[in-house]
Amino acid sequence: MSNGKLNKILYVEDDLDIQVVAQMALETVGGLTLSVCSSGQEAIDKAADFEPDIILLDVMMPDMDGPTTLANLRTIEHLQSTPAVFMTAKVMPSDVERYKQLGAVDVISKPFDPMTLAARIQTIWSECHG
Amino acid sequence: MANEPATMEEKLAELRAQYALKIADRVDELQVHVDDLKRTEDNAHNDRLKKLRDGAHKLAGSGATFGFPGVTHYARKIEQMCVKTLEQGLPVSVELIAKLNVLCEQLRQSAQEDEQQDVDPKPASYRPEIPDLHNSSRQKVLFIMEYDGPTAMQILLEMDHFGFDARIIDHPAKLLDDLRSNGAVDVIVTGLAFDGDDEAALKVLAELRQQADYKATPVVVHTTVDTMSARLGAVRVGVKAYLIKPIDMADLVDILDHVTMRHEDEPFRVLVVDDDESLATHTELVLQGAGMDAQKTTDPQKIFEILDDFSPELILLDLYMPGCDGQDIAAVIRQREEYAGIPIVFLSGEADKTKQLSAMEMGGDDFLTKPIKASHLISSVRIRAGRFRQLRSFMVRDSMTGLFNHTTTKQMLDTEIARVRRSGAELALASLDIDHFKNVNDTYGHAVGDRVIKSLARMLRQRLRSADVIGRMGGEEFAAILPESGLEEAARVFDQIRKAFSEIVFHTDGTQFNVTISCGVASFADHNTATSLSDAADKALYAAKHGGRNQVVKAD
Repeated sequence: MSNGKLNKILYVEDDLDIQVVAQMALETVGGLTLSVCSSGQEAIDKAADFEPDIILLDVMMPDMDGPTTLANLRTIEHLQSTPAVFMTAKVMPSDVERYKQLGAVDVISKPFDPMTLAARIQTIWSECHG
Repeated sequence: MANEPATMEEKLAELRAQYALKIADRVDELQVHVDDLKRTEDNAHNDRLKKLRDGAHKLAGSGATFGFPGVTHYARKIEQMCVKTLEQGLPVSVELIAKLNVLCEQLRQSAQEDEQQDVDPKPASYRPEIPDLHNSSRQKVLFIMEYDGPTAMQILLEMDHFGFDARIIDHPAKLLDDLRSNGAVDVIVTGLAFDGDDEAALKVLAELRQQADYKATPVVVHTTVDTMSARLGAVRVGVKAYLIKPIDMADLVDILDHVTMRHEDEPFRVLVVDDDESLATHTELVLQGAGMDAQKTTDPQKIFEILDDFSPELILLDLYMPGCDGQDIAAVIRQREEYAGIPIVFLSGEADKTKQLSAMEMGGDDFLTKPIKASHLISSVRIRAGRFRQLRSFMVRDSMTGLFNHTTTKQMLDTEIARVRRSGAELALASLDIDHFKNVNDTYGHAVGDRVIKSLARMLRQRLRSADVIGRMGGEEFAAILPESGLEEAARVFDQIRKAFSEIVFHTDGTQFNVTISCGVASFADHNTATSLSDAADKALYAAKHGGRNQVVKAD
């Protein structure tokens, strides 16, 4: 799956305003390929034909939240070990541990800095493939 | 990586402008949910609350992304209220709806204010959201027993600023039922006259005292009834404070704070010096049994080592020890400046008054004769150690506000700067000043001025984190040292405090007024010595004053 370079990101976020900023941060600044989904269900539908290097999910979404979405994505064969990162506004040190138990490798706090988001994800991804 | 910061920032600024246009509609949507809560049946509330929660959550998130800190702050408050109501299965009360309405209005205003702010479109690095209540404790539950709806609502909204979770009860007959369904209450504020009976509330309070769970619940009376009979009746049912309307809200907060204070003080540290191992152990155990932190040593030579490590608040010294007389030890301890004030109590079988007095001349504070009753020993130690602790706190704290004084704050700034030099972490310093404070004093008198100062001190304590150092630098000037915070975050936090403080209404002699603050913030990243950081924060404060006050200015 990994050819040593981060390229494709599956990005799940229900807020369209934040989507636009993250998309700019990852595509324009980071030069990455994005599949943007506005709900957990959409992510599950899209993931079948999109083999991401990393999954980026908002935690709090109506209908299907981030952790539930991730659990569902993990049932898709080629996503079983894809690194996943949660994005949330409420990050306390104790929470990070909890999110890691839910299968994420890291947590990025909102609001994120659009200038460094891509680099941050690159770092997380590299650590997973260190 | 292809990096085009300039165009990116332009794009972000454009997105921010587009977002600003949408906020009003988003707030309208939230307001619709709040209005629906008023109209719908109980069984539909949860659905509405969830919609409101999700809408507010989104707004808080996007507001933070686009640099609308006020929007984020108030949206998050709405979100937290919904979450709490849903999680605890609380009823949708009149109070809740009133608070939500106020918050929607504040959201609307702050959206306009935030838009005027010329922000850096890049969001500040993350600082954990500061909860609106004191970090270390849950919100205190306050019951307001009051027949006059507007007065009750005014108290509720004011107390909400100060982190009390308030509920209104419009008739004493409902108090016990409400308590049964609600469970916890930390303090009750009640009127006395209901239905033309000047002492109606007293009967219910008497009943309340019969219940084990509420025997000790503090009650504050807030009434126009000023008769001896009512005052006596109130004392008999254990009322803690009797206030005549109209009362200044800041006073009420002070009183509520005072009566709900839980004394969970650290145990007193006591050093026991006695060459007889079994006696030393016995004394140590007696004091430990009373909840103190007692340490014993049978070797007087080791005293200084222990003093430096343990820093006791009292020393119990045996008068006669081989090779080292208790009097001499006391004299030696007194020669060290840092221990000149520590209480030394001699414990000895010496019953001769003359000898006892000569021991006292050598630096002892008291003389207890062995054998001594355990209870007597405990209370002697507790009184002296308590007084010592209090005196020491006067040396480091400002007596009126309980915040650190000027000298201590400066020392702590040095300490913190040394720490961030080692760790490379961020650090911010804020200088605050109450606007036109001289006018407040001249117009309303010094007592009212003091209340304003205390209210600000309280708000700072409540809204900053426990790791932040807050000092009163003199008169109406304050400073705060914020470890792990950059310039942007500090500015954001203090802008929230500025806004919240300006919303407090002070009452005096039938008039009411608001007070604002100005604030300058500077960061260690730009000014890396204590002096330059202080100067930069002061300069920014000066700029805030000259820029029209009631604002936060970031240092260059």
